[in-house]
Amino acid sequence: MWLQFKRTFLSGISNVMHNFWLALSVISVIAVALFIINIQIANIVANDLLLKDLQDRVNISVYLKEDVKAEDIRKIKEEIEKFPEVERVVHIPKEETLERFNRDSEENQTMKEVLGILEENPFEDILSVKAHNPDDYAQISQKLQGEEFKSQIDSVNYEEHKDVINGLNKEIKSSQKMAIILGVILSAIAILVTFNTITITIYTHRKEIEIMKLVGASNTYVTMPFVWEGFLYGVVGAIIAIVVSYLYLHSISGGDNGDTLLFLSNTKFIKQFLGDYFVKNILIAVGLQFVLGILLGVVSSFIAIRRYLKV
Amino acid sequence: MIIYDKVSKIYTKDDKPVLRDVNLEIREGEFVTFVGYSGAGKSTLLKMIYAEELPTTGNVYFHRQKINDLKRKHLPGHRQQIGTVFQDYKLLPQKNVWENVAFAMEASGKSPEEIEEDVPQIVDIVGLKHKLHKYPGELSGGEQQRVALARALVNRPKVLVADEPTGNLDPISTWEIMQLLLKINEYGTTVMLATHDKGVVDRISKRVISMDKGKIIRDDAKGKYCI
Repeated sequence: MWLQFKRTFLSGISNVMHNFWLALSVISVIAVALFIINIQIANIVANDLLLKDLQDRVNISVYLKEDVKAEDIRKIKEEIEKFPEVERVVHIPKEETLERFNRDSEENQTMKEVLGILEENPFEDILSVKAHNPDDYAQISQKLQGEEFKSQIDSVNYEEHKDVINGLNKEIKSSQKMAIILGVILSAIAILVTFNTITITIYTHRKEIEIMKLVGASNTYVTMPFVWEGFLYGVVGAIIAIVVSYLYLHSISGGDNGDTLLFLSNTKFIKQFLGDYFVKNILIAVGLQFVLGILLGVVSSFIAIRRYLKV
Repeated sequence: MIIYDKVSKIYTKDDKPVLRDVNLEIREGEFVTFVGYSGAGKSTLLKMIYAEELPTTGNVYFHRQKINDLKRKHLPGHRQQIGTVFQDYKLLPQKNVWENVAFAMEASGKSPEEIEEDVPQIVDIVGLKHKLHKYPGELSGGEQQRVALARALVNRPKVLVADEPTGNLDPISTWEIMQLLLKINEYGTTVMLATHDKGVVDRISKRVISMDKGKIIRDDAKGKYCI
């Protein structure tokens, strides 16, 4: 068993060395296929991060009446936090709002004079409400219009912004769906091209396969060198794909979105993807890459050779 | 040793039969030559011994074992008992002489020590000791056929099947190959040869089976080329 393993492995290596340029073309195809798959995964994850980031920015503001005391503000906040749809509630005191407004309108002389005339802070206390799911804002807004809140809540800005919120939500989900569909299609194409390339490689060996069978070699003895070839193609292809993918993603991370990008619609989150997903889970990422590369090479070789074993 | 029992072969329903009801026995140690025009059925008959072709009707026996009933997994073992030599040599182009001959032993699971011992000996017998590391592309037709012969013999087969082994060779190389075949037969290996070469057949004066349109028309113990 060990002897057969060793002989077929060495035969596989010998095949690769004797057909160096053919091997190089197969390795390139596998590397490109894996590179495409990697970029699609990065694209999908980056899109997901973008989705989460945008969702984080979406919230509704609850404007409280002027006479609501600090203790009551705390009670309302706790009540709203109990809603199952609510992720968190942040209290923005009117003083903070005034400070922010002063900072933002430093250049605006007219605004400064208006604020100078007013004796009191014109702003209200705000409760900024963040939902688990943007689809729940409508329900939260409805609850806030309930009787128990009427005496304390002045207004909720959901109605003014709901079209924007809903529109944004729809756009993001649609974009994510497109990224996944595109990712799957491109990956499938890459896998098919790899399989076809390996099939053609095996085809060029058909006469040798016939000779080996006529000389008395078993199917296993004939098949294994080609499977080992596929294995070697997969390993080398995976190494190239990992290096090129990382360098490419690293080079574009943090850049501006734009037409120069091959596959990605947003690069802002690539750095985060590289750091939080790729580098932190480097062993899994690299391991998966090798598994995928080897599977591509081995399975393609195994399927391709079967048709020539019938001698 | 080898028995063809009412063997017929038709490829498709509309085709004429390639073999028609062939009955034949080959005894151990014989040297049998098959002659006939192209399409007479010589090659098909030989291919049935190592199961590259199977009979449509009838049976082929090898040491009382029915070859046409052999399971696929037993085919390699059966073929390792039979040495085969072809008109187009069928050498593995990316292996040198040593590796081509050694392949037959590796495929049958022989140890590296046995291979180290036997391969140089057999290559020496066929007169190519000094070309062990040459590739098929670097050898003449006659030399390639001698490598094929070495590969066919290295597992010490009981039968050597040679289908037009000298078809692509010049007269001198042809006679060199024939002498090797005769020598192999002297050592006890049964030889089954298919050939068009009248000169060779008449010179070696062995059993000659003449075929025409899938049938055996003559079977002479010390025959001549009579087609």
